Amino acid sequence: MGNVMSASFAPECTELKHEYDNCFNQWYSEKFLKGLSMENECSKQWYAYTTCVEAALVKQGIKPALDEARKEAPFESGGEPSDSK
Amino acid sequence: MRLFQNTQEFNYPWDQVTAANWRKYPNEVSTHVVAVDVLRRELDVSGTRLTSERLITCKQSIPKWLSTLIGSSNKSFVREVSVVDLNTKTLTLKSCNLTCAHLLKVYETVQYMPHHSDLNKTCFRQEAQITAYATISTLCNRIEEWSVKRFGENASKGRQGFDSVLQMLSTNWEQRDKLVDELSTKVAGTVDEIIITTDNLIKETELKSTSLISRYSKQIQRAFNFGN
Repeated sequence: MGNVMSASFAPECTELKHEYDNCFNQWYSEKFLKGLSMENECSKQWYAYTTCVEAALVKQGIKPALDEARKEAPFESGGEPSDSK
Repeated sequence: MRLFQNTQEFNYPWDQVTAANWRKYPNEVSTHVVAVDVLRRELDVSGTRLTSERLITCKQSIPKWLSTLIGSSNKSFVREVSVVDLNTKTLTLKSCNLTCAHLLKVYETVQYMPHHSDLNKTCFRQEAQITAYATISTLCNRIEEWSVKRFGENASKGRQGFDSVLQMLSTNWEQRDKLVDELSTKVAGTVDEIIITTDNLIKETELKSTSLISRYSKQIQRAFNFGN
């Protein structure tokens, strides 16, 4: 794994993503897994990254398919399809 | 609709496996995964349950005319929602393809939990449900829409293109069921095919647990790939 990190689907967001990932991975191992965190940290990096991603989702036309999938399998239910048979 | 299942064990503790889950791409096994993005991430009030929504981007190689037709580009996308629960010690990932979802949908659930007797091991369970939706008539309607839009008043040319597309489509459509069957056989046989070549955590987990959607993306694409 080392320092190699996955890119963003939008090249213009890759750097912001790496900054967020760095922060998140550390938080996850050092705090979350140890039960030491009461909040989702890295909010500064997150805000910058997600603003970039939101715009790119619209620009690249991915948003409609994503919205459809979100309706079908909501985040709130852990991605479980709401009409699962 | 078809269902698949697969179970595996990893020689690493659960918490390590879950940490690796966030950083497993890029890796040498799944080179088709070109990007991974986090779209939403929330921690519950107790601080023990982390829910994340990710967008996985894969390279895709389908004929250009077909991608125009079904409205996708050279990239395909998978949406994944995952929950890490420290109370139940489970990491559950649910994913579904966004690309070509009107033709074929693969709903996959993956779960990682500690081994019941050996805490240095992690159990992995994978389940997928594959549904093909499109019928020949819905595809024809799409082609018609596309050809009308594309060729506009140049009717004769449009008609010609439409005919050849239809011809190719009907020939290949008959093979679709066969291809979906082939895919199901392949998925079922996967467990036996896995050979552990390294004890590297990422590589091992990746070999065993690659998303069915991405692992079989070629076969899935083939089912709709009339060009070759």
